[in-house]
Amino acid sequence: MHLLLVGISHRTAPVDVRERVDFQVRGLVGALRALAERGSAHEAVVVSTCNRSELYVACDETEPTGQDLVRFLSDYNDLAQSAVLPHVYNITDLDAARHLFRVSAGLDSLVVGEPQILGQVKEAHTAATEAQTAGPMLNRLFHASFAVGKRVRTETGLGSGAVSVSYAAVALARKIFGDLSGRTVVVLGAGEMGKLTAIHMKSQDVRHITIVSRTMAHAARTAEAIGGASAAPWTDLDAVLAASDIVITATGAASPILTKGHLEGVMRPRRNRPLFIIDIAVPRDVEAAAGEIEQVFLYNIDDLQATVRENLARRASEVSRAEAIVTEEVDRFGAWFRARGAIPTVVALRERFETIRRAELERLDFKLSTLPPEARARVDEITHLIVEKLLLTPTEQLKSLTDADTIGAYTEALTRLFALDDERRKVEPFSRERRGGARPPR
Amino acid sequence: MNWVPLVFYAAALVAYAWHFAQRTVVVGRTATTLLVAAALSHTFVIGMQTMEVGQVPMAGATPAISTFVWLLALAYLYTEMTTEERAMGVFIMPLLVALQTIPALRPSVEDRAAVLQGPLFGVHVSSLLFAYASFALACVIGITYVLLFKEIKAKHLGFFYARLPSLQVLDRMNQRAIVIGWVFLTIGMIVGAIWALQARGGYGAGDSRVQNMSLQDPKIFVAVVCWFVYSFELFAARRIGWGGRRAAYLSALGFAIVLLNFVPISYFFTSSHNF
Repeated sequence: MHLLLVGISHRTAPVDVRERVDFQVRGLVGALRALAERGSAHEAVVVSTCNRSELYVACDETEPTGQDLVRFLSDYNDLAQSAVLPHVYNITDLDAARHLFRVSAGLDSLVVGEPQILGQVKEAHTAATEAQTAGPMLNRLFHASFAVGKRVRTETGLGSGAVSVSYAAVALARKIFGDLSGRTVVVLGAGEMGKLTAIHMKSQDVRHITIVSRTMAHAARTAEAIGGASAAPWTDLDAVLAASDIVITATGAASPILTKGHLEGVMRPRRNRPLFIIDIAVPRDVEAAAGEIEQVFLYNIDDLQATVRENLARRASEVSRAEAIVTEEVDRFGAWFRARGAIPTVVALRERFETIRRAELERLDFKLSTLPPEARARVDEITHLIVEKLLLTPTEQLKSLTDADTIGAYTEALTRLFALDDERRKVEPFSRERRGGARPPR
Repeated sequence: MNWVPLVFYAAALVAYAWHFAQRTVVVGRTATTLLVAAALSHTFVIGMQTMEVGQVPMAGATPAISTFVWLLALAYLYTEMTTEERAMGVFIMPLLVALQTIPALRPSVEDRAAVLQGPLFGVHVSSLLFAYASFALACVIGITYVLLFKEIKAKHLGFFYARLPSLQVLDRMNQRAIVIGWVFLTIGMIVGAIWALQARGGYGAGDSRVQNMSLQDPKIFVAVVCWFVYSFELFAARRIGWGGRRAAYLSALGFAIVLLNFVPISYFFTSSHNF
């Protein structure tokens, strides 16, 4: 049995192709059932996000199944095969496992280390469980990939540090205040930038957002657009500042509207409660010297962008550690995956020996029939033990093989030496018959 | 026997430092496990000494230091388990290792001086040791606050930014540790004064050390200074907004005085507390 991955991602396909290959719209379970009906694979999981659509299957032969999966990619999404084919990648066995592990770790993401992908991979597996298209092979593979995602997140800094300006602002606020629920936010200026940052803050469960603008009507409109926010006139600025924890300034003023002296006046009644000022206006709204005040933390747009760049650089430096974890887990999965390759040979070998033992016992039946029943049972037991002992080491040796070429060579040799090919043909009906015979008589 | 916990404390120090640098979960758990082992073996040592001399070994500078280290380890473990924060360990462990070296090098347990008796004496010593452990925690939390504060102010979000809890949390933890320490410091000092007054007229009448117990004695004088420093910190934090960095500096200063009083003054200068 082989692992096969056929898919497209942001690395191979432009967005106009990616958005048309979408298994989410009609539901993953439906897509999985449609795929299962084609009968080209034994097991299937579909991973579908805005940046990738990937079909993971377990199949006997990779070539025809691969072609069928490409057809499925295009047919299911009503596309011409020629539109999809140039962007499709086709990866097999442990390379497919490595690919999935890198995806789960966030190494293959557009923004390296982004955290959502692991959840999406888990959803994909859950859908396959629901559609009953995941079997032993893919269950093992996906559970291993969850472990990779978790290890990379806890053991490396791949996912740490905000990589967008608005997240950087929220992360900073958290480092100053801890929990943001119960914090009060003020936005100076009713423009688009201020609104967006306020919406972002709102998603962090802050207690209250106030919009202050020179034109009260603008402030009221923006407050309404954010929802749950209130507007205040410019004359109330000092009172509003005194009651707030986080200030976002985004006015179009040509010169600073908050000077150091002004803020010192605001800070006094606050008894040095920290004030986090995010100045996203260009030109700046807050005098740089205001950052010297003890409990004022002043960040402008350049500062935030600089932290984002630092975080991206730090993530990049963690990539090799994450890749090392992926390799480790691929090796672990590979040991299991390859050992499965030897199992049919092990089974055939054991059945061959058992057949010989039974044949010999039957041949000697007339001689043994003179023995008392206990002695006959002993003979049966002893011969069984001899066979078990003879097979113990070879079985262990075969199961411990991890290299595909060696397994191939061993299988070949054993098949010839013990004529296992005939055995496979003969064994099937025999074992079925024996199972039938074991049933208690009615 | 005191070297057994010392070895574990030293091992925990290495593990906490490693965890602080690498942030590997397994190393973090190992660090906590080693510290728990240190605290357990330390409990055993103190228990053995208690059986040997018939009371908890805290009279005299060396046993008091050992008991202090033990209390601080327990207090830190409690903080770690309630806040799920391991970052502070790397700052506490050096103190534990350094102080535990003293009892490890001076292993003898002498019988308690005859004058040191009565329930008030036990309350005096144990409250003060507990107060000092709280102040040690406050100091370490204060140091980490300043480190994080400086990184955020300098807009260079690096090492501590990634490893420490938020400024607000550190500030609150610092204040809480100071309040607890201050309460026990106050109790310990008042109870000590009452005990000294009783002893002076009674069983300690012939003991020069008991007669020397006054504000002129360096140990007692510095303890009073300490009380004023921490009282000021509490007052300033509540009345004039001296939270954050100033409170952190004050708790570092306060603990420096505590350490001064606890080690050099106890061994070399005091004429009243040299039991």
